[in-house]
Amino acid sequence: MSVPALEFQDVTKTYRRWLGGQQVAALSQVSFSVAEGEVCAFLGPNGAGKTTSISILMGFLYADWGRIRVLGCEPGDVRAKKRIGFVPENFAFYKHMNADKLLRFHAKLAGVAEDNAARLIPDLIAKVGLSSYGKLKIGRYSRGMVQRLGIAQSLLGDPELLILDEPTSGLDPSGRKEVRDVILSLKAAGKTIFLSSHLLSEVEQVCDQAVIIDRGRVVRAGTMKTLLDTGDQVEIVATTLPEELEAVLHEWGATVKRGAQTVSIVASGARKREIVERLWLAGSDVLRLNPVKGSLEDLYMKLVGKGDAA
Amino acid sequence: MKLRMILRTIVLRTIAKNTFGIFLRDKLLIVFGALFVCVILMMMTPLLTSRARTTVSNMEGMQTYVLGMVSATMYMVSGAGSLLAAWAAADAVATELKSGTILAVMARPVKRWEFLLGKYLGVLLLMACYVVMMFGLSYLLAWMGGQRVSAASWVLLTYPMVRYAIYAAIAMAVATLLHPVLSWVFTLLLGVAAMMVVPSEEPIVNSASRWLSTGLYYVLPSTQFLSEDRFLNIKQATLRQTGWAEHFLALTYGVDYALLVLLLAMWSFHYRSLKRD
Repeated sequence: MSVPALEFQDVTKTYRRWLGGQQVAALSQVSFSVAEGEVCAFLGPNGAGKTTSISILMGFLYADWGRIRVLGCEPGDVRAKKRIGFVPENFAFYKHMNADKLLRFHAKLAGVAEDNAARLIPDLIAKVGLSSYGKLKIGRYSRGMVQRLGIAQSLLGDPELLILDEPTSGLDPSGRKEVRDVILSLKAAGKTIFLSSHLLSEVEQVCDQAVIIDRGRVVRAGTMKTLLDTGDQVEIVATTLPEELEAVLHEWGATVKRGAQTVSIVASGARKREIVERLWLAGSDVLRLNPVKGSLEDLYMKLVGKGDAA
Repeated sequence: MKLRMILRTIVLRTIAKNTFGIFLRDKLLIVFGALFVCVILMMMTPLLTSRARTTVSNMEGMQTYVLGMVSATMYMVSGAGSLLAAWAAADAVATELKSGTILAVMARPVKRWEFLLGKYLGVLLLMACYVVMMFGLSYLLAWMGGQRVSAASWVLLTYPMVRYAIYAAIAMAVATLLHPVLSWVFTLLLGVAAMMVVPSEEPIVNSASRWLSTGLYYVLPSTQFLSEDRFLNIKQATLRQTGWAEHFLALTYGVDYALLVLLLAMWSFHYRSLKRD
C-alpha cells in the first residue's frame, strides 16, 4: 500500500494569547488524507481553519495534537519540502526584484542547478504569461501578476506535490482559466495537488476529491463522485401538470417547481416511467428527462451555509 | 554528503546576500552615510587647524590632542554602529514576518536555523562594510590632524566587528519574540546596563551590591574591553602593551557571547509560529 501524499490525523490546534489570555480553537480533530496523484480541494468559509491546516502542513505552525505526514515526512522536513511547490494566500515577494531574479533566488534555495534554472525560468515565466514583464520590479505588479508569479515559483524544481492556497484570488476570468489549465496539465502529469479555493465551480472541474471544513472541523470529505451523487433522481420537465397528479407526486416524494411556461419535477428514477405516462395521459408534453447531478455549490451551501462561495 | 554541504552553503549564502541587498536599499543607511559626512565636515576645521599649528616644539602635545579628538569622535561613530547592528538584526527578521515574504522562503528546503543564520550573516556583511568605512574614517581624521594612527589595522577591524556581532545576535534573539522596536530598545538598555556594572576602582562596601554587580557584569554584554577607540588614543605601538593573550581573551569572550546568543535566537525561532504579523 502506497504512503499518502498528505495525511492529517486527529489534528488539533488552539491559538493562545500570551499570559493565559483568550484561546481560539482553530482545528479540532481534523482528519483526512490525499493519495499520490490526486487533486484534492480544501473548502470552507473564511476562518474555517484552511490556512491554519496548510500552515501546519508546511511546518509554519505546530499542531497541539495529532499526526501529520507530508510525503511520508514530518511537516517542515527539508526532504519533503524539496518535493513541494507552495503558493500561499496573498503571496508576498521581495518587491525590489523582478520575476527573473526572484525565480533565480528561489531556484538557488530549492537546489536547482544554475544551468537548469537558466533554462527553466524563461519557460515558467512564459507559462504564467509574464514574459513581457520579466524586467519589471515586482513592487509594480498588479495582484493578479503577483499571483501568477507565485504559481511560477511553485513549479520550480518539478515538485511532486503542490499546495495551493487560493491560487486564483485576484485573477481575472482569463487568468483563472490559465491557472485552471496549469492545474489540469499538472494533474495529467500525475502530480498531487492540494487546492484551497472559494471558486467551487472551478474546483468541481479539476478536483478528484474534496474536504470541506467548517469551524475547525471536517464536515464532509470524499471523492467528487460520492459527494455529488444524488442517487438515481431524475428531473422531468413538462408543459403542464394537473393538480390531482401533483398531489400523487408529492405522495411519492417528488418535488415540483412551477415555472411560467413549464413545470419541473424531481423524482426517484424508479418512478420516471410511471410519471411520464401519467403526464402524457393527462395531455401534457414531456420536454426533457435528465438525471439529476448535484453541484458542489449546493452541497457546500447545505453543509456550511454561509454564502461566501463564489 | 559533500553535495548536501554545498547545497546548505548555497542556501546560507543566498539568504545572506539577499538580506544585504535589502539593507542596501534601506533608507536608514542613507542616514548613516550622512552621519559619516557630517562627522568629516564637523571635524575638518579643528583638525586642519591643529595640523597648521603643529610645530617641532609642540608636536607631542598636538599628537595627544589630535588622537584624543579622533578617539572621541570614533567612540560616537562606533556607538552609532552598535545601534545600526541592533536595528539591522531586529529588522531583518521582523520585516520578513511583517511582509509575509518569509513564507515563500521557508516553503523551500530551508531549515529554520539556516534562515536565521543567513539573515545574521547578511547583517554581519552590512556591519563589515560599516567597520571598513569606520576604519577609513579614523585614518582620514588622523591624517586631517596631521597625525598617524598607531594601532594595528586588524585590531581596528576585528574589535568593532565582534562587538557588533554581539549586539546583532541579541537584537535578533529578542526580535524572534518581540516587536523590532522593542527588541532594539531592549538591546540598547542591555548595553547601557552593561556599562553601568563595569567594575570600578572604588571598592563596593555592600556585598549584595558587589555580587549583583559582578553577576550582571558577566551576564550582560560587557563590550568595554572590545572597544577599539582606546587603541586609537595611544600614541605608541599599543599592541606591545596589549598582549596577544589579552586580545585572544577579549575576542574569544565576544565571539562566544555572540554565538551563544545566536544559538538562543535559533532555538526561539525554531518554536515560533511563522505567519504574517
